[in-house]
Amino acid sequence: MADAPEILLQTSGLTRRFGGLLAVSDLNLDIRKGEILGLIGPNGAGKSTTFNLISGFMKPSSGTLQVFGKDCTGVNPTTISRMGLVRTFQHGSYMRSMTVRDNLLIGTVQGLAKAGAAARAKRVEETAEILGIAQFLDAVAGTLPHGIQRLVSIAIAFAARPRLLCLDEPLTGLNQTEVHSTLYVFRRIREEFDCTILLVEHNMKAVMAICDRIVVLHHGQQLATGTPAEVRQDDKVIEAYLGKRHAK
Amino acid sequence: MANLHIPRWLLGMALVLLATLFAKNAYTVSIINLMATAALVAASMRFVMLIGETSFASAAFVGVGAYGAGVATTLLQWPFWMAMLIGPLVATVLSILFGVITLRVKGPYFMLIGFAFAEAARIIFSKTALIGGTSGMVGIFPPRELDAWLPSFVTLVVLLFLFLLYALEKSDFGKVLVAIRDNENIAKTVGINVLFFKVACFAIASFCAGMVGSLHAFVNNVISPGDFGYLLASFALAYVKVGGEGSLFGAVGGALILVVLGSFALGLGAGEQLFYGGAIVAAILLMPNGLHGVVLGLRQKYLRRERGAASQGVR
Amino acid sequence: MQTFLQLLITALQIGSVYVLFSLGLTLIFGVMRVVNFAHGHFFTISALLVSLIAPRVIDAGHSVVFSYLVAVAAGLVVTQLLAYVSYRYALRYFLRDMEGAFILTMGMSLLLDGVLLDVFGGTVRSVPEIISGNISVFGVLVTIQRMVLFFAAASVTVMLYWVMSATRIGKALRAVASDHEAAMLQGVPYTRLAMLGFMMAAVLAAVAGALIAPVTIVSPFIGADYLMKGFIAVVLGGLGSIPGAIVGALLIGLIESVGGYYFDSSTATLAIFGLVILVLLVWPKGVLGRG
Repeated sequence: MADAPEILLQTSGLTRRFGGLLAVSDLNLDIRKGEILGLIGPNGAGKSTTFNLISGFMKPSSGTLQVFGKDCTGVNPTTISRMGLVRTFQHGSYMRSMTVRDNLLIGTVQGLAKAGAAARAKRVEETAEILGIAQFLDAVAGTLPHGIQRLVSIAIAFAARPRLLCLDEPLTGLNQTEVHSTLYVFRRIREEFDCTILLVEHNMKAVMAICDRIVVLHHGQQLATGTPAEVRQDDKVIEAYLGKRHAK
Repeated sequence: MANLHIPRWLLGMALVLLATLFAKNAYTVSIINLMATAALVAASMRFVMLIGETSFASAAFVGVGAYGAGVATTLLQWPFWMAMLIGPLVATVLSILFGVITLRVKGPYFMLIGFAFAEAARIIFSKTALIGGTSGMVGIFPPRELDAWLPSFVTLVVLLFLFLLYALEKSDFGKVLVAIRDNENIAKTVGINVLFFKVACFAIASFCAGMVGSLHAFVNNVISPGDFGYLLASFALAYVKVGGEGSLFGAVGGALILVVLGSFALGLGAGEQLFYGGAIVAAILLMPNGLHGVVLGLRQKYLRRERGAASQGVR
Repeated sequence: MQTFLQLLITALQIGSVYVLFSLGLTLIFGVMRVVNFAHGHFFTISALLVSLIAPRVIDAGHSVVFSYLVAVAAGLVVTQLLAYVSYRYALRYFLRDMEGAFILTMGMSLLLDGVLLDVFGGTVRSVPEIISGNISVFGVLVTIQRMVLFFAAASVTVMLYWVMSATRIGKALRAVASDHEAAMLQGVPYTRLAMLGFMMAAVLAAVAGALIAPVTIVSPFIGADYLMKGFIAVVLGGLGSIPGAIVGALLIGLIESVGGYYFDSSTATLAIFGLVILVLLVWPKGVLGRG
């Protein structure tokens, strides 16, 4: 009997309404331990809302959310974070006025609260190394180029050593080389730090390259779920992205 | 461990204390006491700004500190050390209760609530017969042994608290506060209990505010409700804005300068309101980052010119 | 029942003055996204000028009503001038900067306190009654003066409501309050509208001051108490909401009326403060607000 994959996060019928608008409708998502799951869809598909719902920044209109085996429907974001789910934000997911070092420090504060300032400083250094931003540690985050700021955002979240890392468009604004090295970092984080990753991304090449499974959202609904190969050939997905003519 | 520049602090504190020992006439003594308490109230106001809030409620906590000293000394006859500390302790407890409720709201709402709270406290002080009602309390004397050293003592206490605030700001705790101000959502998503830190910051600042009140009571020997309305918080705000909220030393500098200039102006017959109001308006229109900002700006310009000259160099 | 009506009518009278205050504050917030701490001074200056000028004009032999109107006109002119100067040379740099504007207007408020003290002195004065006599409303005895106050305040409120909903200017103000960037893209001149909104709010406060002068003792400090109650009214009703401002102000009037009758005015003030905290616990942006 094969080991069933451990489910870190599960939603059941998750729905969120804004007045008359159904931003997310009947989402049944599960995130398996150790995978890199991609969440894709055109603008307005409900990706950000989904992110807000699973991280506790928004309460669902209906449906349930289970995180690390516990019911977290309607639970506040701080509690969910402490369980091990950390997310980034699409824009400005860092503290502009602080140095990169201090930015990363904030990520360590909760987890290493009792471990002492030295332990926190060490985690900051390690995290900066892994993300490749060690040379920027003493720069003020707001003054750095966009790509580096993106890496800082990821680093802050990763500094908390989460079990589930949820990244909202981490590759936006990165050039080819930076994308390549960041994907390498994701793999490393997954392998060496036992971290599962959920990714919202528009960069299709990157998504296809790195994700084990993909969930496609469209108009708030779950269009398809599967491996990159499966999703690429899914009729509904092709129709949504490329129009009816291309679907078989 | 952040560099707290302890040698510089010790030197500075020693120099300042030394200076206070030379104060002999009544006027200088009162100015020194005023400068010291103004510096601490400014630092306290500024500390709350680390989480991005302006606290008018601090006036109420200064009042609690003062009345604590008054009650403990004149009604309960407690020893001096206890009398000095009870006010700030009560103020801190109150501030935690107040903060837990009101720090859930931000910006203008928090300011207005603080403002109303300060006024409400003043009303409560004036209605409570036990503490003298509108007449306030008299006879709040420090121990006679301290009389000759009072300005130095007050200055020492203030310096210790200033150092405490400085150390806290530089520590990881202080960085969390600034992060909360800069981007609260990030703090939340890495598991930080934002309300806890906001309340902690507020409580620490309120303890300092309470200490200001306590010192004020022992220095002036009489207190009345009118001393602790929103006007007090407005003065504190003026100190911080004129000095510059970017640094503790800015806030303290603003307090020192305004107290000195203020006493000149008052001597010339200008009203307190006119002076402090004018100072706030002038500062915010002309020096939004306060004197501290002006000094930093000048240093930048100087460094740039130096660099420019160096690069032109000697041919 | 009698008492109930009495309290209700007192509440309406008190509340109607607060309404004019809170409308101005909420209008300023809606359009400029700032809180004007010095708002009370438009009120105070207007009341002071009325109390200063009206008696002199009467002494010069004119009728009470005429003197009063002249004084009110003077008050309006001076406050509008002050509003214009404050906006053009100071406030306009702090549009949408809540903290900066709060501090600036707080400084202005202190400054004006000092100026008013110097100019008018700390002594209080009163204005002669414009219309004497009482009438009976539902069995409650009310001075005609206060009735006039209430109706004047009510009419101004209705006028403002009409301006905001039916006129182009009102629509522009609401557009700007709702989404100032979108409004600017449509060609709406934001800074000019902000100034207009500010001056309208000043008029409201000045009118309130002119109305209150004949029924109260005027000193350079009367604005402070009304300002605080006005703030609380808008916090309760929600910054930026006109209906909220009206409801909040009337509620404050009611609490003050009831509290003042059964206890005393400072207890009423404390009760109001307690209410604000309670309300903000449940509705962090005020009941109808959009901060």
